[in-house]
Amino acid sequence: MDIKPKLVKELIEERTIDEAAREVMAKAIEDGIETVWDRLEAQQPQCGFGQLGLCCNRCAMGPCRISPFGETGPTRGVCGADANVIAARNLLDDLLVGAAAHSDHGREVVEVLLKTAEGKAQGYEIIDEEKLKAVAREYEIEVEGRSSREIAKDLALAMLEEFGTIKNKIQFAEVRPPEKTKETWRNAGIVPRSVDREIVEAAHRVHMGVDSDYVNILLHALRTSLSDGWGGSMMATEISDVLFGTPKPVTSYVNLGVLKKDMVNIVLHGHNPVLSEMVVKAADEPELIEYAKKMGAKGINLVGMCCTGNEVLMRQGIPIAGNMLNQELAIATGAVEVMLIDYQCIFPSITKTASCYHTKVVSTSEKAKFPGAIHMEFHPENAYDTAKEIIKLAIENFPNRDPNRVKIPNKPMKMMAGFSVEALKSALGGSFKPLIDAIVEGKIRGAAGIVGCNNPKIKQDYGHVTLAKELIKRDIIVLETGCAAIASGKAGLLLPEAAELAGEGLKSIVTALGVPPVLHMGSCVDCSRILVLAAELAKTLNVAISDLPVAGAAPEWYSQKAISIGAYFVASGVFTVLGLPLKVYGSKDVLNLLTEGVEGVVGGKFAIEPDPIRAAELISAHIEKKRKELGI
Amino acid sequence: MKTVFVHPEKCIGCRHCEIACAVEHSRSKDIFGLVTESPPPMPRIHVEVGVDLLTFPNRCRHCDPAPCMQVCPTGALYRDKDTWSVLVDYEKCIACAMCAMVCPFDIISFHRVWNVTFDHEVNAKCDHCIERQMRGEIPACVEACKTGALEFGDANDIIRNSRRDFTLRTTMALKGEAAPELPESISQFREVMKKVTKLGPLG
Repeated sequence: MDIKPKLVKELIEERTIDEAAREVMAKAIEDGIETVWDRLEAQQPQCGFGQLGLCCNRCAMGPCRISPFGETGPTRGVCGADANVIAARNLLDDLLVGAAAHSDHGREVVEVLLKTAEGKAQGYEIIDEEKLKAVAREYEIEVEGRSSREIAKDLALAMLEEFGTIKNKIQFAEVRPPEKTKETWRNAGIVPRSVDREIVEAAHRVHMGVDSDYVNILLHALRTSLSDGWGGSMMATEISDVLFGTPKPVTSYVNLGVLKKDMVNIVLHGHNPVLSEMVVKAADEPELIEYAKKMGAKGINLVGMCCTGNEVLMRQGIPIAGNMLNQELAIATGAVEVMLIDYQCIFPSITKTASCYHTKVVSTSEKAKFPGAIHMEFHPENAYDTAKEIIKLAIENFPNRDPNRVKIPNKPMKMMAGFSVEALKSALGGSFKPLIDAIVEGKIRGAAGIVGCNNPKIKQDYGHVTLAKELIKRDIIVLETGCAAIASGKAGLLLPEAAELAGEGLKSIVTALGVPPVLHMGSCVDCSRILVLAAELAKTLNVAISDLPVAGAAPEWYSQKAISIGAYFVASGVFTVLGLPLKVYGSKDVLNLLTEGVEGVVGGKFAIEPDPIRAAELISAHIEKKRKELGI
Repeated sequence: MKTVFVHPEKCIGCRHCEIACAVEHSRSKDIFGLVTESPPPMPRIHVEVGVDLLTFPNRCRHCDPAPCMQVCPTGALYRDKDTWSVLVDYEKCIACAMCAMVCPFDIISFHRVWNVTFDHEVNAKCDHCIERQMRGEIPACVEACKTGALEFGDANDIIRNSRRDFTLRTTMALKGEAAPELPESISQFREVMKKVTKLGPLG
């Protein structure tokens, strides 16, 4: 066995398929920068109790762990919880964190809408009045003869009420899903009642001596996820559209090569676009551009990272430097003046990375502070001023850049993004009928959503890109969000030319429409767009979402948010393949329920399959089965 | 002869044994001593990753004859006749590492310990928890292991039990009955993780 220290070349090849990232990674290794891959290695072996879901560290009678091998060790925690209860509670605990992350993001966007409606938000306006009215109608808010601000205020208040409501329903979950899908929820008793309520109740249920029936725990996990997908996340998507515009197809560039040598580079990293949208707006201010020139730069270059990057890419065409595993490498280019962070998926060590270069990390959320960062807090009341201050800080940091330590890859990849449901409908000529016809005819066999994160355990982007290629080859159209979409962008799959990689049927359709075979639908909260699309198709055909020839996948997931997304896909009736295991293998019953039994309840289920080629086979087989059942 | 027998298929890499070992060999015998004591207590058992993310808890096997004892130039290594353990007299150890060079298991490493007069690094290997054994207790690593990967007892007794188990499974298999050595979902998990190692840096 080879135990020689690995060569730099070997290291970069096993860590990522992103060529631009490989170039910078080699520099980072030479610079002696610690990255996520080093930390993963240092963590080996990772605790088996944790991986199997058999560790419970909730109360002070513990921590407890259950032996995965039965009677050779303890079979119950001090409280009496067995493997089923502990694994199920752990899963619910992870899921509630994910649902909370999405939904708290959604709440913040809705609060900005409220402030905008009240004239108290600096720099914000209602950009998409049509969408405002459409959503307001779904909320049964009067729109005729009323000003946008009046409607927006009522809508914002109606949505905010649904976070902790006493009305016991979430409007989107009432009016948007197909009747047959809602019926499965009613039968299972998992209709979401409010966003915060499901999350708080989940936190309650994992307390010792509350829910001790793993089936009941998992049902509530599904309900909590629905309050995210059809609640908090969907509000984040829709209200971001109202405030900043509903995405339309847009061409831009992706990978670390979007950083520019002669310009002030600002990376917009995190998930919530509310402040970054103001930065995008302020970067056009002539005084700031002049200031940048005065400080020796040719101008200001904004680039995105992770889902804040996806948000400003979708709506403003801002180039995107990469996905989750690119964040340290962006700094290691030596060319980033400011990394603006809001929240989620930002490495807690990012300021340590930045301290090796001239990069300033600017934290902007009261709930996400990073020691070593400059904190410039976001408030809607003065957001535009804050945005300008952050740009100024970046400009003033430009002279501190050491040109001898700069390495920017020179081949940014062209990409198309901006496929909101509305944009897709419009590309299809105003109705989904052409898409449905293509599916019925069999030119398109079905659709698959590939979503979710990067995880350093899997070679960066390999899972996403391989799966997407395998699916389009099989005439399955691919809808993407989050890190997955960025991965496909870097690999050139988000271009109309990628149709060449698709099967004949899919190729003919996407070529006629002039769109890529893999469609970038947004950030991770925009997985809600995939739900809306699936619901539209199901309603047109008068079937449940679970009857459609569709599937989901998260080939490189790491985050609790991905668990919530996966669960709301499953609960909405979608077969969902995960590339890394859920932490439940310590309980055969929990594993079986999630990968088999749940299908009989909600029509969807999980599968665990790391190999993307095998995952494509599973998805394809599922789609063909559904086609057969539909008689097409 | 009592030994700590390893059932590697049951090791899940939790490293509880390492923590318990470090605590047992600390001055305070308290887990919080791990962060407050100087010198910092170190484990004498090591859980490391091999192929497919499988792990093996590696510790002194207390060999007989013990190569380390044979080569020690100062006679710092000696055998305790009651427990048949190979022990180190820290006062005599000169940290020359001859013992480490000949150790078939590569488990000898050098650390500062609290119980030596002259503060220097010594062969701080497993002492078979001899103090615990004197009190009639089992070694700390075995007590901490909740999966049954570490078992303390007479080697022949342990092997006999394993052999009975093997015979049972083999005869069940001959009858066409499922007789997995490990629970099904655990084997499935290992298969999944084996695939993961093929897809990234963990391989």
